[in-house]
Amino acid sequence: MINTIAYGLTIGAILFIISIGLSLTFGTMRIVNFAHGLVYTLGAYFLVSALPLTGNNFILGALIAVLAVIPISYVIERFVIRKLYGISIDYAIIATYAVALIGIDAIKWIWGASPIPLSDPVGIDVSLFGITLPLYRLIIILLAVVVFVALLIFFKKTMVGKIVVAALEDKDAVRGLGISVDKYFTYIFVIGSCLAALGGVLYAPITSVHPYMGMMVLLVSFAVVLVGGLGNIKGTFISAFVLGMVMAITGRYWGPAAETMVFVVMGIVLIFKPIDV
Amino acid sequence: MPIQNSTGSRSFRDILLIAAGFLAIMPILGINRTTDFIIFSIFVLAFNILYGFMGRLSFGHMLYLGSGAYGITLFTEHVSRNPFLAIIASICAGALLGVIVGPIIIRTTGACFALINLAFNQVGYFLVVVAFSKYTGGEDGMSVSFSKFGFIDFSNKPFKFGFVLLCLLGTYYLLRKFTSSPYGILIKSIKENETRVKFLGYNTFNYKWITFIISTSLSAFAGALSIINYGYVTPSFIDPSRAVEVLFAALIGGAGSLYGAIIGGVIYMAISNYLASYIPRWEMFLGFALLVVVFRFRTGIWGAISGKIKSRAKAAPVRTL
Repeated sequence: MINTIAYGLTIGAILFIISIGLSLTFGTMRIVNFAHGLVYTLGAYFLVSALPLTGNNFILGALIAVLAVIPISYVIERFVIRKLYGISIDYAIIATYAVALIGIDAIKWIWGASPIPLSDPVGIDVSLFGITLPLYRLIIILLAVVVFVALLIFFKKTMVGKIVVAALEDKDAVRGLGISVDKYFTYIFVIGSCLAALGGVLYAPITSVHPYMGMMVLLVSFAVVLVGGLGNIKGTFISAFVLGMVMAITGRYWGPAAETMVFVVMGIVLIFKPIDV
Repeated sequence: MPIQNSTGSRSFRDILLIAAGFLAIMPILGINRTTDFIIFSIFVLAFNILYGFMGRLSFGHMLYLGSGAYGITLFTEHVSRNPFLAIIASICAGALLGVIVGPIIIRTTGACFALINLAFNQVGYFLVVVAFSKYTGGEDGMSVSFSKFGFIDFSNKPFKFGFVLLCLLGTYYLLRKFTSSPYGILIKSIKENETRVKFLGYNTFNYKWITFIISTSLSAFAGALSIINYGYVTPSFIDPSRAVEVLFAALIGGAGSLYGAIIGGVIYMAISNYLASYIPRWEMFLGFALLVVVFRFRTGIWGAISGKIKSRAKAAPVRTL
């Protein structure tokens, strides 16, 4: 049972890291970013390519993978997302989906369609409460908490964070103060994309790397965002761990149903807490 | 959007045009492909009722197609091999699904609507492929056969073609009546501004729910017809990753118009049937085409054609003066 809980916490940690970018773009720009799943997949693939270059140094490889996503996410923001402000939200969904299609096909072109396995980068097990756990999973959970605290500080203490929080409440009022909101949205978009890539990098050793890994995770993390509240960091944090637990516990009893159960929970939450977007 | 005046003679003329169009492309594409195209057009029409007319983009419409496909399969397997009863049963399956999931789905708009549909589609896919694989054949699917009554024989290709074409014409006629009725105008008003419609005293929830059920039932109808056409069912009929096909067809034809849906359906099928064998990077091409449609070509092909016709009609009297 402790093993299941640890697994749930790991999944929850990765879900939180991925969902936070989705939640912020959704909260600030009212855009569902299908390209987010693409960036997540790209992070994992960049890691695959970076590992041989760095002599299998995972931390350096992860850093390169996360940084390599910055120009790509900037291009996506600049040439697709920014043009979508103000036009119907349906077109935003379609356009970002189109970007994801292009990106996935490019990945298949460059890296091939077959899954690439990665080994556990730490490889040390620790004994905890009488069972052995891979240290790597504990690091992931710790990392999610660090990201959470760092984001809270970022939104409370820094100027950029405060502007974004204000823009979440009332975009036009912030613009009325003479602040170029779009510029800050670009920062947020890039930060969110980097976190998505980090999620891909962290999850890659647990499963295998394949071109469609992003789409399923995107759906689950969308459920996280809906349950946690749009643009709500604390809510996203809690709902990520709750849904991660749901996945782990369902997976323990009936493996294939794990991801489906998340949507069932989401459906139940939406019945009692309808969302207006 | 202008309210189209729909007299009986006009929809009769439209029906003749559509029938003539499909009969004309039948010798070029072959009878099998044309039957396939017609069924897909019915699916696009069903999707378009929700997207083009009510402004709700569903990203999981394969679920409703799949409910019809598996509905007709299970009905012929366990109840009766009568094809007409089976079609009715599959439409009921789609309607029932709309009744059950509708109240959860239609409360949302925009992105939530799209993704909740996708989530439900994922659940449906899981149910079919994993949970009930004993009954549905799982990944392998299963074959379906229907009993014959005299000349009614669904293994006969020309009969199948004629039947499917009649189904499309019937669907078109009903939707033409539906969209030009006061009810249809109300649906379009909900797309434009739901708050105002509510303010006028309409209970928009019920209208949206009924429209959703119409769309799911028609999608199920299209699913049932595909099963009749292919003679077997596989999970690809409910695969959520194929949901983008119908969306692309509706967009390229021109959302919010019945003609546009049919044209889009035919063009999309033509692209995916022929172009895919020439262009290896097929998904990438589709992605770029979608971007072009979204940024440059938002009214679709039918929108561009009807825009041209209208501007010419406006320009003509000026010249005679």
